[in-house]
This record gives sequence, C-alpha cells and structure tokens, in this order.
Amino acid sequence: MEGVKLTIALIVAVLLQWSLRNVSEIFAYVDLPLIVIVYAALQRNSIRALIFGTLAGLSVDALSGGLLGSQGFSKTLIAFIVSEIARRVYLDNLLLRIPVLIGACVVNSLVYFGLHRLLGQPPQGDLIVVGAYSLIGTTIVGTLIYLLFESLGNERTRPKRRDVFSSRRQTRRRNPIRLAK
Amino acid sequence: MVERSQKDVWRLSPWLLSALLLVNFVLMAFDAREITSGQRVIRTWTQTAADFVQSPITSITSGVYNYFASISSLRSAADENDTLKVRIQELEVEVKQKADLNSENERLRALLELKETSKYKILTARIIGRDPSVWFDSSIINRGTMDGVKLNMPVVADGGLIGRVVAVGPLTAQVDLVTYSKSAVGGIIGEIAGSNALGVVAGTSKKDLLEMKYVPGTIDVQVGQVVYTTGQDGIFPAGLKLGEIVNVVSGSATTPHQIQIRPSARLTSMQEVGVLLYEPPGKAEFEQKLPNAVKAK
Repeated sequence: MEGVKLTIALIVAVLLQWSLRNVSEIFAYVDLPLIVIVYAALQRNSIRALIFGTLAGLSVDALSGGLLGSQGFSKTLIAFIVSEIARRVYLDNLLLRIPVLIGACVVNSLVYFGLHRLLGQPPQGDLIVVGAYSLIGTTIVGTLIYLLFESLGNERTRPKRRDVFSSRRQTRRRNPIRLAK
Repeated sequence: MVERSQKDVWRLSPWLLSALLLVNFVLMAFDAREITSGQRVIRTWTQTAADFVQSPITSITSGVYNYFASISSLRSAADENDTLKVRIQELEVEVKQKADLNSENERLRALLELKETSKYKILTARIIGRDPSVWFDSSIINRGTMDGVKLNMPVVADGGLIGRVVAVGPLTAQVDLVTYSKSAVGGIIGEIAGSNALGVVAGTSKKDLLEMKYVPGTIDVQVGQVVYTTGQDGIFPAGLKLGEIVNVVSGSATTPHQIQIRPSARLTSMQEVGVLLYEPPGKAEFEQKLPNAVKAK
C-alpha cells in the first residue's frame, strides 16, 4: 500500500513538474520528483527508490532541453546514496530529513551540471546561482511536503497508539478526578 | 508479488544501481550524438505522449490567468481606450501612405519585370510546455509534423525571432531560444542593402541579452541600431528582427567590437508564437562534398 501511494505521489510530482513552469517561473526552482525520490529512499526500500529515480529523471529529461538520461543518472545515484544512509543512520525525524534533502539537492545540481559539461552540452544556467535558488526552493517545498506526509502518516497511526496505550492512560486520567470527588 | 527480505534488497541494490546508471549513461551519449546529427527520436515520442497531459493543463491555467488578468486590466481600460483612438487615427494615415507605396512598388516592379518573391507562410502555435528543468529554457509548442513543422524551422513572435525547432514529433515540437548559449544566428546591423556590419549573434544564457561577435572594429556601430538576420547561416531567412544594440565596447583595426543586444521578442512571457514554414535553399554541390559538411539524411 505504501508503494502504491508513493507511486501516485511520484506521478503527480512529475506531472506538476511538467506543467507548473507555465504558471510561474518560480516553480522551475522546485524539484518535486527529487523530493518524492528522497522520501522514498528514506523508507529503506532501495530497489523501489532506484527505479523511482530513473523513471522520474527520464520523464523530466524527455521534456527538457538537457540530455536524455542526465536527470535519470543523478536521481538514481541520489536514491542509492540516501537509501544507504537511511540504512545506517536513524532518519525518521523530520529535522534530520531536511539536511538529507539539502545534500540531495546539492549532489543533483553538481552531477547534472558535471554530466552536461562532460558531454559538451553546458547548461544555460550558472551552477552557483541556479544551484542556490534550486536548493532554497526545493528545501522549503520539500519540508512542507514532508510535514504533510508525516501528518498523514500520524493520522493513520493514531488509533493504533490509542489501542496500545489505552488502559494505562485511562488509569492516569481517572485518578485525579476521583481524588477530587 | 515476490516478497524480498531486507538482506536480498541490500545485496541486489548495488547491481541494480550499476545497471540503471549504465542505461542512463548510454541514453545520454546517444542523445548527445543526436543533437548534432538531427532528429531526437525518444524525446519526440515522449513529448507527443506528454502533450495529452500538458495541453489540457495549459488550457485551464491560461484560462484562469486570463480571467484574472482581464479583471485587473478593467481599471486601465478607459485610459487605454482614449490612447487607442488617437493611435487608430495615426495608423489610418500610415495605412494610406503604405497603400500608396505598395501600388508604386508594384508599378516599378512591373516596369523592371521583376518576379514576385515568394514569402514563407507562418503557422501560429501555442506554447504548451516550458522546460521542466531549471538548467535549460526550451519550450514545447502544439504543432508538429502533421501541421508541416520540420526540424530547424525558425520560430517568431510579435517582436522578432525567438529561436528554432530542435525536435519535432507528430503533434508537438521543441523550440530552443536564441538566448541559449549554444545557439548562433548570422546577423547584420541595419538594413541588408545598406550595411556591411556582419557578425554572429550568439546566446549568452541570459534571457534578455544576446551577444554579437566578429563585427570588425573599423565599422561604426551605435547603441540603438537594429540587428536583423542575414540568411547566410543556412537556417534562418534574411530580414528577421533580432533586437536592438544596448551596449558597444569599441574594437580596433585588429580586434572586433563587443556588442550586446536586447532581443526584440519578449522571451519571458510568450504564449502564442509563429513557426515560419521556411526551408533554406539547398547547399551548392561542391559545398556538400566538403569533408566537414553535415550529411543530409
């Protein structure tokens, strides 16, 4: 079920990435597929994250002026690195996920820019300027999206927690009332 | 569905990573080769598929945008109306003068027995998508081979030249802007008949700036002069407006001028464009036999 939800999220992210720049130029600085890929990689399923990385990257490349496969390459690499880090380090806290997203954004810009330079197709934007704006945009939107994902996850897990701790909580709440009476 | 243990996943992932990176790298190398050789097959078919998503979204977003834009523009409508009435009167006089000039031109042509030069048709197109990557700035239009669009056809807007078609599918085409750092157009300062200030107008990666190279330093160049295409590059027809000179660093007898041009077409807010159904005249036979000539497929 988690996989289906993430797949839907990735499809929506790619569709929005295709269309949002038409609405405003600012949206170009937000890499929505990268946000979803990093989130998927943090779930410790590296195979799924790798496939997501390649597919999302290629979908964006197909409509871009850049080389076909360059985003696919960088996003696949990021998916692997993030899933390996998530395997070794506990990253379930939102505050710890933000630096991971920042790192992913930096690596994405460097790899994408480097690959184009390597193959003689230098990108239009300046590495520092475009990379910095992209980092800011993706981090802000990514944090908000992760907050949303987390709140949706909590909604789902809340009844389970109540079931687990119900008897203990009830006794703690009742005691002071009884004493007051 | 086969359930894999975490150990299997961790064991498999480096192999899968290597395979996927290799696939991506091969695609990149193939695409880099296609850029110089012509049509980009995989890209055009993906764009055609994406058109079914992009076109409705663009229609909806532009509809909403136009609705709010029309509301906000109501305030200035009365002032604009008065200005336009004055402008119409001015234009009527100009139209009359043009009509006189046209008839005079026709009479003179008849006298000189000149044949009518065939002008290229313009196919109007709508921009349905912008580059999803922030590193590039190509646009996707809703016209393709089914409408007669071909590779390298020039694309214009109200102000002048915008760019050229770099990939074309059945329903869509991808357009690279003149401001792209790898684009170059043969340019001339002033009218073709009355100027010898030839050079190459190249992109600078900035949206509002072009650079003109190789203009001899001995030629007088002024800020405010207009630059047109020469038609000598074998892609663009002659006489298309490129922009206006905004800055000149004067050269000398041995060094060329450094000229900066502001594009006349508004590249930041394009919605409707025109594709010139223009095919450049074929190259001379001896030119095609040159060792470095691009072979036609």
